[in-house]
Amino acid sequence: MTVMRDTVVKSLAKINVQGDESGLIPEYDVLVNLLPVSLLNTFAERIMAAAPADKKAKVEEGLVRAAYECGYHTGCGIITSDIFNDVVLPMVTEGEKDILRGAFAAFTAWGWAKSGIVQLKEREKMVIRANDYYEAESGGEGLRAYMLRGLCQAFFELTYSDPYPAGMDTYTCQQVKGIEVGDPHGEFVVTKK
Amino acid sequence: MSLKLEFSLENETYRHYLNGHPVVMHSHHYLALITKLVEEMGDIGGPQILTDVVEETMLAIFNDYIQKNGLSSPMDKCNVGREYYSAFGLGKMIVTGSENGGEVRLVHSHIDEGWIQKWGPHNKPINHFSCGYIAAVFAAAFNKPAKSYSVTETASMAAGETEGKFIVKLS
Repeated sequence: MTVMRDTVVKSLAKINVQGDESGLIPEYDVLVNLLPVSLLNTFAERIMAAAPADKKAKVEEGLVRAAYECGYHTGCGIITSDIFNDVVLPMVTEGEKDILRGAFAAFTAWGWAKSGIVQLKEREKMVIRANDYYEAESGGEGLRAYMLRGLCQAFFELTYSDPYPAGMDTYTCQQVKGIEVGDPHGEFVVTKK
Repeated sequence: MSLKLEFSLENETYRHYLNGHPVVMHSHHYLALITKLVEEMGDIGGPQILTDVVEETMLAIFNDYIQKNGLSSPMDKCNVGREYYSAFGLGKMIVTGSENGGEVRLVHSHIDEGWIQKWGPHNKPINHFSCGYIAAVFAAAFNKPAKSYSVTETASMAAGETEGKFIVKLS
């Protein structure tokens, strides 16, 4: 049996996180936050709009980096968590490839993007297609799914790069299509740096 | 008053909602790096952009809850923002004051504690996010528009103090 995506998505999607008595959410070896999507989209739009031409690349890099480091550290916590062990690991028969499938099922279940792997060359390249993602609704210009770029890179590195945390910054992710620019879906390509 | 939290899920897209507003989960790494990004972009007003966006977004969410639940007293309305802060995983705040302003203490702070976990103590306060958030708490409590209050962080856990402290003034 390989990972049954729908089963994993439905099981993980039921989980709601809430603050403890300190108002913090310590889960997956990080402090989790739960923020309005409109806040994240509006911030990205305004900081990009405010940046002059010579600083736009740096701001874009900063937005992707924030998502990437978040995804790398939180993703490690997710794929080693009890819930992932309970729901995903019993279905794993193809090793790393199935772990990655399970991780992208979590990606969908937790509302980052309704997405899946459409092409995979282990340790070399991955193509992700997203049919729904919140960044598609952000204002601005051009391809702007900064969060998805960072997360796709992070999840591929967790699977195929050196063991956590030594495997950082091995791959890169580029967005090649976007709902926000009129394409039918978003598409993200992860390759070696 | 205790904030009512209704979580829901859109079955087709798997988007998550809290009290009808789309929400998404990230971690302290994300907000620490966003905070660092706005600090580095100080010359284009980075910290103020973050503060303004947080205030506008949160004020809309607080006012929506206040209206739907028929709250009228400033204390009840203030508690909406205070309790949402913990529901969002942002920490725990103690609010005192009046329509003219007041003081907010952070006894736990996702932003500050996250910053310290990631990089250790900093040499100055960095919680621009909570400045905007607190401005929204006071604006909602006293039925005022965004930008009615100025908020200054005068003590910071990220800078090594045991609690965060914010002074709020009616602009």
